[in-house]
Amino acid sequence: MNGRLPLIVNTKCECGHQNPVGTVLCEACGKPLLDDPESGETLEMRYDGMARRSQKADPDVIDRVWNFFSSVKIAIYLIVLTLLGSTLGTIFPQESTFLNIDPSTYYEQRYGTAGEIYYRLGLSHTYESWWFITLLVMIGASLVICSLDRVLPLYKALSRQKIRKHRRFLTRQKVVLVTMVAEDPEVWTARAVQPLKKQGYRVFTDGGALLAEKHRFSRWGPYVIHIGLIVFLLAVLARGLPGLNMDQHLAFPQGDLIHIPDTSYYLKNEKFTVEFYSDEEMPEEFRGKKVLPKLYETKAVLYECTEDCGDPSKEPKLTKVASHPIQVNDPLSYKGMKAYQFDYDLTPVLRSVTPKLVNSRTGDSYGAFKLEMKNPQRSFSAGPYTLELKEKYMEFGLNEAGQPISKSPYPNSPAFLFLIKGPNLPAGGEQYFYFPKQNDKAEFQQDAINDKLGGAGRFLELEVGDMSGVDFSESTSYLNIRVDRAMPFVWIGAGIVMLGLVLGFYWQHRRIWLIVEGGELTLGGHTNKNWFGFRREVSFFLNKMDITADEKSLDNGGGQA
Amino acid sequence: MGKARKPVQIIILALIVLLGGYAIGTSAFGGGGKPEEGSRAPSIELLGLDGQTHTLDEYKGKLVVLNFWGSWCAPCVKEMPALEAQWQQWKDQGVVVVGVNVGEDQMTVQNFVNGTGVDFPILMDPDREAVRRYGVSPLPTTFFINAKGKVDTIHIGQLDLSTLSAQIGKLVNP
Repeated sequence: MNGRLPLIVNTKCECGHQNPVGTVLCEACGKPLLDDPESGETLEMRYDGMARRSQKADPDVIDRVWNFFSSVKIAIYLIVLTLLGSTLGTIFPQESTFLNIDPSTYYEQRYGTAGEIYYRLGLSHTYESWWFITLLVMIGASLVICSLDRVLPLYKALSRQKIRKHRRFLTRQKVVLVTMVAEDPEVWTARAVQPLKKQGYRVFTDGGALLAEKHRFSRWGPYVIHIGLIVFLLAVLARGLPGLNMDQHLAFPQGDLIHIPDTSYYLKNEKFTVEFYSDEEMPEEFRGKKVLPKLYETKAVLYECTEDCGDPSKEPKLTKVASHPIQVNDPLSYKGMKAYQFDYDLTPVLRSVTPKLVNSRTGDSYGAFKLEMKNPQRSFSAGPYTLELKEKYMEFGLNEAGQPISKSPYPNSPAFLFLIKGPNLPAGGEQYFYFPKQNDKAEFQQDAINDKLGGAGRFLELEVGDMSGVDFSESTSYLNIRVDRAMPFVWIGAGIVMLGLVLGFYWQHRRIWLIVEGGELTLGGHTNKNWFGFRREVSFFLNKMDITADEKSLDNGGGQA
Repeated sequence: MGKARKPVQIIILALIVLLGGYAIGTSAFGGGGKPEEGSRAPSIELLGLDGQTHTLDEYKGKLVVLNFWGSWCAPCVKEMPALEAQWQQWKDQGVVVVGVNVGEDQMTVQNFVNGTGVDFPILMDPDREAVRRYGVSPLPTTFFINAKGKVDTIHIGQLDLSTLSAQIGKLVNP
């Protein structure tokens, strides 16, 4: 590009056309404007010699910003910087690849001082850092401005082409032929139309001048690519908008209805199955040594909240909207939301027990009641007795002061304190500690505690007869819930890029100009790539016109094959 | 096209600044992630122990001390008296202490509150939605939210009476 323009230039061509500042070849007749008339060098045909939009004699601030982004050199620097920046993000795993880490300590523990520095520099989240996003935004700006700055002048130049060009424009093309023709100029050019048309050219004549052109659309290829890239970048940017992207990992205990945060959906894991390969199915060397899973499957049902959503004081009204057996790579999919199988945990979680109140002396049973681990009923009745639930501990333990406490909110070793009232009990009732799990009963000495609370004469016990009185969530399935509404636009962008690549790579814009004047034929040809094929085409055409021109003799130099 | 050149340039540059500014802004100030000191306090909608649904908006214009706790967490239990003392001291001066119980059921929370005699509003977060929104991992974690609804300070771990008092005093009388 010729950036160093003299301060004042006469931009009027000898053909009478007034060209904008920065024009290399006259917009009308193609006469080279800037260099030495005696020069024999081939012409710079980029953008057909048009001035880029931003080229101005007196640029102001906006023009300067515009010019900065319009520069291909700057664009290349930006791309190289982004490339280098991206590589920094690959040194250690990014924070986003972990589910449950504390990055402020993880990097130091795992990678030592280098990890610490890496984290402190913010490289553990390179692709979300402000400087990386800034680079992407600048590339986006450069794409838009570079394209606009070039495509509009190019479009104008190509749609307003003059058939008759300046002779020097022809002789300084890379494909040139100057030879004698005896025929009348108009007759010769008229005769040339047919063979060119046969070769697929669109032909325009103006007396003894001719312009043949084909596959102009290939010139738009790069700009189509740019549009695709802009769509791509905007789609990636849009992922940050609320509601367009979600990626969370949630636990779904079997049988529990779980709300998916930030949505109106609830998902129930009705049954989780994991199957392992049997020894016979595995190769010899694995037998007895490895456990290989064959199938993970979560039978999932998705509900949508239709009323009273988000108000925790009301029960939401749910409607079933989808169900699917989720397997690895076979997610449940509903309106752009996908639930992928991610992990599982086979530890059973106690949900409820249904103990019976029995008289340990007579063996009489007074009836059973259901005791939920979460939000239990506060009072129960069994026969003539009433039981009031006073305290509950999910993971029973004692604090430093020796008082009973819960060590976690998870029902690992639950314990319940009841106040039982009824016949043959003290007027104020009798306290009773109940451990539903058999091994806790022994470990925490339920009987000894109750003997202390109720005295040796107590006769009531809570008992779970068999396993039918125990309700477990057998396992927990972990699902990855994803929404990525920007993804279709990413694909559309990628598709447009592909289309642009095909346009630009598989066709070439070829043009042939010729002037017959005073018994002399001057031919100039230009293509944007594949000069070899183009010279062959020109040579073939000339042969049809009974002019023998060897392909090589058409080559006017310029260093391109 | 020639005459429209300048306005077109300005419109395109403005669009780039707008979109780019948004993109860079959200990355620089941690948009969508957990709140940090100086960022806007995420909204919450939780059931209170009083049976009503409560949101942070109710306390607009007040300094909110948002304390995440669990009855199984020993330091949370230990700092309760300090929080209660501050609640009593400051409640008439535009300060509200809000305790968010993490993942326990109403009975446990009720029993705990009755046992310790705390009087400030207690909200329940059984599905840990507020915990997720606030990015709370260890308990207790306390957010000091100023009258404008911005997170002023995040305190992870047990609070003692003197630091709590100093912190609130600093925010009430800056």
